[in-house]
Amino acid sequence: MHANPPSSRAPVVRTDRQGLRRELIGAALFVVLSGTASAYTATLTAASPQAVYLQVGVGSFTNTYLNGGQPGNNTTVNKVSATVPAGVLGNGTAQTMTTDSTATQSYWDNYTFCSVPGQVYIGGFYRTTGATTTAALVTATVPTALTDAAGDSIPFSKIRWASSGNGDTGAQPFPAGTFVNGGVQNVGSMSSNTWNESCWAFSYLNNSIPPAGTFTGTVRYTLSSP
Amino acid sequence: MIAAAPRTALIAFFLACALSIIWPSSSQAKTTQIDDSGTQALEPSVSMRWKTTTPTRTGAGNLMAGTSTLRVRLNVMPWLHRSGKIYLNLPAQQPGPITISWLTQGRLQPGLLRSGNRVLVYAGPIATPFMEDTLTLQFSVDGTLVRRTFPVSFHFEMDED
Repeated sequence: MHANPPSSRAPVVRTDRQGLRRELIGAALFVVLSGTASAYTATLTAASPQAVYLQVGVGSFTNTYLNGGQPGNNTTVNKVSATVPAGVLGNGTAQTMTTDSTATQSYWDNYTFCSVPGQVYIGGFYRTTGATTTAALVTATVPTALTDAAGDSIPFSKIRWASSGNGDTGAQPFPAGTFVNGGVQNVGSMSSNTWNESCWAFSYLNNSIPPAGTFTGTVRYTLSSP
Repeated sequence: MIAAAPRTALIAFFLACALSIIWPSSSQAKTTQIDDSGTQALEPSVSMRWKTTTPTRTGAGNLMAGTSTLRVRLNVMPWLHRSGKIYLNLPAQQPGPITISWLTQGRLQPGLLRSGNRVLVYAGPIATPFMEDTLTLQFSVDGTLVRRTFPVSFHFEMDED
């Protein structure tokens, strides 16, 4: 870090030729050392270099990104539902589903990105140091079916979603898809150090006739960083 | 008379050449790195944190910043009772572009410096053997360049008047 100051010279008494030569070498080194310029070196270490944030439905942020916002935890589980009238049951016309989520504005810039009750906001980021990494994956863990109290079921694959965003063009980070009948499926990805968001509009395919009842199921979304 | 004229012209020519060689070097200040071996950092290392926890949509805005306090003690004995200019020099270095900004207690000037450059922190007479100040430094670097702990070196240098 710093060059050491030249040490004080000890008295040296030598009379032989070799001793004189050593003295000369010592004198030469002394000159070099005293001429060595010092520089200061600071050691920089990344603290908390990684962070992830995923919001499906409502989320929590202290403020928008543009105002130095910080993400927080939100344990709310939002609902998406559809009531199919008896007259159209199973006729193959997809039934629009609505949500109880109130999330419309992006926490990035407060822009009204999604519309409720027809869309569910999904967004987040993966923060990490270093060069761009493999994308972080968002997966959905899906039960085999929606079930009712009587034990009847509707396959989860009867539900699909479209993806868009107000004023958005191009490919969505969380594209359109259809649920699998049980299992874990990829529903999107995030490049490192980018904010990603989409709005999902769910619909029930309505191409079969299940027994009357209220069918429910819970899908869990997970963000996995590399 | 006829022969003397070319000789005078020749002497004038050589004088002009000599002066043209001497003048540029005399106008350039001599730069010497200052011994700062008495300088101490109050923190052993600088913790770099994201300036904004959240990234942007485009992937820009990945600055990391960290602060450190430095008790600067410059040995200016060689320039005592003379005048000079002291610069803080931050050479270009790995992992890439680095910015340092600093506040002072008043002995040196506050400022901002990007790697590969130097900036004036003092100009005037050197009245004491040591020049001391406490600097609060803020380091800024693109987080996408940071792969591991890394050193940043800088030094003070004197331009003699």
